[in-house]
Amino acid sequence: MGLLLRAAPLGLLLLLSVGWLLPQPSGLTLAARASDIALRVEATLDAMPESPVVVVGFDPDIGTYPEIRPAVRALLADLLEREARLVLVNVTPEGRALLLAEIGRLRASSERAVMVDLGFVAGAEAALVALSRTAPAPDAPVALRAQLAADGIAAADLIVVVGGNEIGPRTWVEQVLPRVDQLPLVAISPTVLLPELLPYVESGQVDALIGTPGDGAAYRESVASTPGAAADDRLVDRLALLLGLLVGIAVLGQALGERILPGLRIGGRGERA
Amino acid sequence: MRRPSVSALVVIVGILLLADFLVVNESLGQIASLIVDLAILVAAGAALAAVASLAARRGTDLVRQRGDPVGAVLVVVGIGAMAVAGLRPGADGASDPAVRWLLAALVIPIGATLFGLLFVSTLGAARRSVLSRDRTATLLVIVALVSLVLLLPFGGELGAWLRSVSGWTLEVPIAAVFRGLLVGVAILTAVFAARTMLGISPRDD
Repeated sequence: MGLLLRAAPLGLLLLLSVGWLLPQPSGLTLAARASDIALRVEATLDAMPESPVVVVGFDPDIGTYPEIRPAVRALLADLLEREARLVLVNVTPEGRALLLAEIGRLRASSERAVMVDLGFVAGAEAALVALSRTAPAPDAPVALRAQLAADGIAAADLIVVVGGNEIGPRTWVEQVLPRVDQLPLVAISPTVLLPELLPYVESGQVDALIGTPGDGAAYRESVASTPGAAADDRLVDRLALLLGLLVGIAVLGQALGERILPGLRIGGRGERA
Repeated sequence: MRRPSVSALVVIVGILLLADFLVVNESLGQIASLIVDLAILVAAGAALAAVASLAARRGTDLVRQRGDPVGAVLVVVGIGAMAVAGLRPGADGASDPAVRWLLAALVIPIGATLFGLLFVSTLGAARRSVLSRDRTATLLVIVALVSLVLLLPFGGELGAWLRSVSGWTLEVPIAAVFRGLLVGVAILTAVFAARTMLGISPRDD
């Protein structure tokens, strides 16, 4: 029995591999209830002027980024499809690392995309305050460079925040929005941040928040018909996710059952000790 | 009471930044901008110092053959590889293809893998917690079990119901607890900030 327990992680890996390799069953979905989140995002993007300037604060964590990556890629593709001029900035080193990988992918997939990389700005909150005053962008087209130098983030038509545990939508709402005359803000964040962000959505400071994988899947489905949007990214493997969740339920259920009914015990005294 | 020099500095800087936030005045704006730039420089300097300190510490560990030699080698080689890739003559800094490759092919997948391992280790820890007969841990695991069931990605009416209940748990009970915690943290932060600005230390209580 001890050998079985030791081999369990390997068994889990094999099971997940099977989930990845098999075709995705049609009865599984990640999309959230109704798609009001997707509608809010789309409504905010639709309200932008033609060829809008969109500042993208990109500071997710390496640990939680896989959860939001499909939605982030769909949103960036959607913005580029709308001919948005993206102004990308990081105030965390992890965000910088992840953005560099995304920029390479975006440049490879869309040659005509206008992307201005402001780079990494040290100082976290202080950096956001400084950027709301002026945002030096030597590589930007002349007109946009002048706009960003004169008005900072206020030169944008929309702010998109890809958040993580350190810097996220809350920091932008606190440090930037009061200084840029309440620009519309769309945010994508991991589920763990949702409870602290909901008040900002309810107060209207965050116009739209994609805060769970289900919301992300719903948004992704809503832009699936947009040329270029979400076409170049691997979908979340629903079968692998289902199998992983079932394993979790089985392990926790067995442990609880063992607590209640000693007959279900498979561990032995050594493990209990 | 402590010497008021640091507290006075904090008060002056805080008031200046608040005043700049509320009043449109060019001189005030320039002073606030200078303070913010100074904060950015200090943050950048601290980050550089932290990396240098880590490299020096691990390098010294290697030379003196103490601590974890494998970890020390990995840290020193990692810092060295990234520095060479980004700072070698002709390199394009953080945007250099070599840096991007190191990030995309090594750093990000390894970081994500470590977090992926949490799935296995958390399950093991939860199981051990239940077997230890701790009531709080058992309650925690029951809630986790319910959460996992609610996250099952089924379609149809069952899936819609599961997602609806899952959304409600996030938006009502969990959000309520989080908000309570945040309000508590905010009050304590305000009290602590006021005590710092007024120079009140625990000895004064």
